[in-house]
Amino acid sequence: MNFHNFVEVTLKESPELPDSRGNTIKNMLMTDHQINIDKVRVLLKYDIKGKISNSQINKAVYDLFADPIIEFGSANNSLLNSKQVFPDIPDLVIQVGFKPGVTDNSGQAALDGLFTLFPSLSKINISCSKTYIFWGIPSHIDVDDLAKKIYNPMIERVSISDKQACLDSEWANLDFPEKPVLTEQPSQTINLEVTDNELIQISEKGLLALNLEEMKAIQANYRNPDVRSERRKLGLPAEAPTDAELECLAQTWSEHCCHKIFAAKIHHVDSETGEDTFIDSLFKTHIMKPTLDIQTEVNWLLSIFHDNSGVIAWNDDWSLCIKAETHNSPSALDPFGGAMTGIVGVNRDILGTGLGARPIANTDVFCFGPPDYSGHIPEGLFHPSRVFRGVHAGVRAGGNESGIPTVNGAIVFDDRYLGKPLVYCGTVGMMPRLLPDGRESHDKTPQPGNIIYMVGGRVGSDGIHGATFSSLELTEDSPSSAVQIGDPITQKKMIDMVLEARDLGLIQVITDNGAGGLSSSVGELAELTGGADLDLAKVPLKQPGLSKWEILVSESQERMTIGVNPEDCEAFERLAALHEVEATAVGRFTDSGAFVVRFGEETVAHLPISFLHDGCPQLQLESEWKPPQHKPIIFPSLDHKGMGEMLSRLMARPNVASKEWWVRSYDHEVIAQSVIKPFCGVNHDAPGDAAVIAPIHGDTQGAVISNGIVPRYSDIDSYAMAAASIDEALRNAVCVGVDLALIAGLDNFCWPDPVESTKTPDGRYKLAQLVRANRALDEVCRAYNLPCISGKDSMKNDATLDGEKISVPPTLLFSLIGNHKDVRKAVSSDFKEAGDMIYLVGETHQELGASELAFMLQAESQGVSGIGGQVPQIDTSRNLSLYRSLTSAMSKELVASAHDCSDAGLAAALAECCFGCDSGANLDISQLLSTQSDLDIWGALFGESLGRILVSIKPKNSQLFEEYMKGHTCNLLGVVCPEDEIIFRNSEEVVLSASMSDLRNSWKGTLNGGIY
Amino acid sequence: MQPKVAVLSGFGINCETETMAVFDMAGAKSDRIHVNRLVNGEVNLADYHIMAVPGGFSFGDHLGSGRLMGNRLRFGLREQVRDFVKSGKPVIGICNGFQVLVKMGLLPGDKDISLTQTASLALNDSGHYENRWATLEFDPNSPCIWTKNMTRIRVPIRHGEGKFVTADKKLLDDWNEAGQLTVRYVDPSTKYPSSSDEVLPYPISPNQSWRNIAGVCDPSGLVFGLMPHPEANHSTWLGATWTRENIEHGEGEGMQIFRNAVNYVLENFNN
Repeated sequence: MNFHNFVEVTLKESPELPDSRGNTIKNMLMTDHQINIDKVRVLLKYDIKGKISNSQINKAVYDLFADPIIEFGSANNSLLNSKQVFPDIPDLVIQVGFKPGVTDNSGQAALDGLFTLFPSLSKINISCSKTYIFWGIPSHIDVDDLAKKIYNPMIERVSISDKQACLDSEWANLDFPEKPVLTEQPSQTINLEVTDNELIQISEKGLLALNLEEMKAIQANYRNPDVRSERRKLGLPAEAPTDAELECLAQTWSEHCCHKIFAAKIHHVDSETGEDTFIDSLFKTHIMKPTLDIQTEVNWLLSIFHDNSGVIAWNDDWSLCIKAETHNSPSALDPFGGAMTGIVGVNRDILGTGLGARPIANTDVFCFGPPDYSGHIPEGLFHPSRVFRGVHAGVRAGGNESGIPTVNGAIVFDDRYLGKPLVYCGTVGMMPRLLPDGRESHDKTPQPGNIIYMVGGRVGSDGIHGATFSSLELTEDSPSSAVQIGDPITQKKMIDMVLEARDLGLIQVITDNGAGGLSSSVGELAELTGGADLDLAKVPLKQPGLSKWEILVSESQERMTIGVNPEDCEAFERLAALHEVEATAVGRFTDSGAFVVRFGEETVAHLPISFLHDGCPQLQLESEWKPPQHKPIIFPSLDHKGMGEMLSRLMARPNVASKEWWVRSYDHEVIAQSVIKPFCGVNHDAPGDAAVIAPIHGDTQGAVISNGIVPRYSDIDSYAMAAASIDEALRNAVCVGVDLALIAGLDNFCWPDPVESTKTPDGRYKLAQLVRANRALDEVCRAYNLPCISGKDSMKNDATLDGEKISVPPTLLFSLIGNHKDVRKAVSSDFKEAGDMIYLVGETHQELGASELAFMLQAESQGVSGIGGQVPQIDTSRNLSLYRSLTSAMSKELVASAHDCSDAGLAAALAECCFGCDSGANLDISQLLSTQSDLDIWGALFGESLGRILVSIKPKNSQLFEEYMKGHTCNLLGVVCPEDEIIFRNSEEVVLSASMSDLRNSWKGTLNGGIY
Repeated sequence: MQPKVAVLSGFGINCETETMAVFDMAGAKSDRIHVNRLVNGEVNLADYHIMAVPGGFSFGDHLGSGRLMGNRLRFGLREQVRDFVKSGKPVIGICNGFQVLVKMGLLPGDKDISLTQTASLALNDSGHYENRWATLEFDPNSPCIWTKNMTRIRVPIRHGEGKFVTADKKLLDDWNEAGQLTVRYVDPSTKYPSSSDEVLPYPISPNQSWRNIAGVCDPSGLVFGLMPHPEANHSTWLGATWTRENIEHGEGEGMQIFRNAVNYVLENFNN
């Protein structure tokens, strides 16, 4: 009988059964770091603490831990000692395990498996670690540097056996990651009767992210004689907040939770036009108002702005909802865990919408530094390629394991995302409009007296201060406690259980536990009934010793807060037990007017609902617009072959290049609804535009999901950036034949800090950029009848490291969900066959400012060429009327293919359409040039004018198609050709020629993440 | 009579909705059954005619895909499952469900239904999860009741661990002899029939499975499992290249598998 056992497992490697895990590490070291290792093997180790017999351990080796067919397993004797398993002495062994307290999903799964084998066991803990075994390491490689490339010190520990240790059989051996014993801190009172400086210090030391004015508002509340006398009656400290109260206020008032900048009063000055005005809340003025105005004209906006996601009626029986979140700061520190919690977190927003919606599709949009970045990386940051790999793996695990398809997305690269990557995770949900008990699913029905359940995971010391931390810039001191790893299977079990409970009528109110934990979830729902009474002593914990305020604000993952009628509690708990989901009654909703938090008999917080939700003072901010100056683009003089090579280099730019290697490892087809997929074409490798899904099996009504994002244009004008993002999302949806009568949007702003301060001297300009982007959103969405039904903002996307401040370019992701009347008429982007006629619909102007071409020429000329020039302008009425005609033609099945013209313009769009057909094309652009006097060949080929779609039409349909397009700019440019070449002519003169196989190689080469 | 299908759910299974849909489209009546409802006796497997273990990520694929769910069935439902198969009722495992049936020893299986594991599904040679379309070819001599009269279909694969291997290569010959190597990856540019033992290049064989094996059946032909997802091609508009094809819209290429099983039940249990 041992109290500490271990089991090791490794593959029975053979030429026909290679160690693919080891090869993945070998390839990653080669691809990302140019380190050539002969061979890498991987071994898994499970450390088992607790009372278990030798015979049980021995039985578990092949009944649980190791696969008897393909793996070796060993108990309490390292496989590294076995000559049968590893005949050659390794050159290096690196063991990587989690730090104490970090979520260890493999360890938890092993524990579950052990209890299946031996149900009588108890009080066992299992920790899983990976050991990497290397042979043939180049002599110049430092082993500690190598280890840093495969582990993340923020969440992991490492143990290394160098060459000598390997010769001596002294194997890397991490201790069991015992959680440090926590000592519960007694509740404290925070004295706010101090100087202003000390108030700021309280905020900063406590990571509260509250400014002086907010601290003073809290101070004022506790000076209020009525408040004091009420508190005396309750036996609470009368003149000062408890730590739990202050924490709860900090969470609720955080930028992350209450969007203070979007709610601010802004004094806006425009030096160009002389405008001098005040804006009372960008959100209310430019986002909410247009949607409310549209709501008076349509009947399908069911629930907007007040819930976890916006809900639209898709048909009489079903509604759809959509939400996107960002998880930027955590992803910078731990790309894998940060991104994974991002995706599973936004899934919970959907589950917490109305009375519970089923997540049916994910979309992911990432912004990273260039993967081939070779400049200085400040201490504390990862190389962009590592961030990319980690984020991708996190979203892959989170999405795939949850059984939610990733149907659409984008990856954008820019040097300025080096400091903070942007990780947008979006999810679409679906609900039956009426539940079996007759309630409308989009309305919550809370009543005072409902029992509050916390469902899903337990509360731990992980994820404390995530909400306030994301409201601060990233520094070397950013806390590791803000980083978490998701547990998709615990969440999946919870989703299954919650949806069953919903259909049984057991749920009255539901929301997720994200930022701010219980303080936010219970605090927000308390607003609906007018109060809540929460008992922290009942909250199940991952470990003892948490302080009371920590239980209240911990953001431990995979938890929902649900209100249940008292008479339904028994059925609710029975259902939870069946699904092996923990559900604990932790309080009740009330109408007392206060959010009361207790620990057993002790009251630790008593916050009036009105102060909690309306007490945060409005920010007053200054904004000033001055148009930036840029150098003009210098165009080289090139013949048609040179232009072909220019196109080839553009196709290889990371923003344009094929992302297939990465996207293929997302499950995009689970749920069996995927009509237009991320890939199309004869070889399944051409990029699709919008996603189309048909979520009711066997039915042909569809939903369209698309995204638009063009942060480059912010360098000239964020108005143009926002307008282009919305038009791109809509254009993509039009390409597949969206029903323009039922489209809704999501705005997701990621901005650098726009508040003027010593740290941000250019705050006024950054705020003016935000004002302009919001005005574009307002005007364009109104014109397109495209209401924003939900949104999010992340306003502190700066990093200061090594004294260097890096701010992201102002970025708006616009996501769209729309209806598709009949998916059998959906259109894909690939050309269909040689002989089809190629049309460009929409007007082309000389618009190359901040284009992909401009940025490439700037880089190639080391900055001699600029990015200046006209940035694409929007004409919403022209575009919308064109989109209407084009989608009508699609509904008559007249359009063989349609593809969005965006990054790198017409030439890149043409190449992508040809990839899908293994074809070439021969086009004449003279018509474009003759109708626009200021347009030159560069503008025609690579300009990024909005409102343009490249379509192909079967010759037999061309006449009818042209009739549909009467009154619109619709130029017949040429035909699809069977040859391998694409040719652009200006009448007889060839202006660009390129081999499609060359273009394909360039396009596929850049972001190829591995040999497979 | 309408055949009743028990579609298992829980613990990270995630394709139960579409698996239920295809059986319903094929004329059966399917129920979503949480595994624990069988373990606790709330539901009796014997009341059903078909059992389906859908795809997903049961227990997150930790300790090997399908392993922990396989153990839950092997230890928690051992006799129920054996009795079900012995009574001549069809069972299918798709993707993660196939992995479960292999790890619990039901596939490729043996005449005694001893639930001894003889094969496994290793990590793809690519080292990672992939979603791509593949062309499958069926062995016309297989006893498998699920694949009767089928030649080729196109379906997506969506897995990280789909490389079918075994410890004893002689078993592969035995299974081949018995027609248990029911379905293999095949180069779509070749003429039917063309399935071969030599491993086809990536990505025609997406995982470098031995002998290009995509799915196998047990000696009786009643229990069938495969890595690809036939249920994901239930309608023509879900095909990978349907927008390039001149097709009459309707049922997708994967549906015949489910129809075969439903018809089998109608022929054998209609009393």
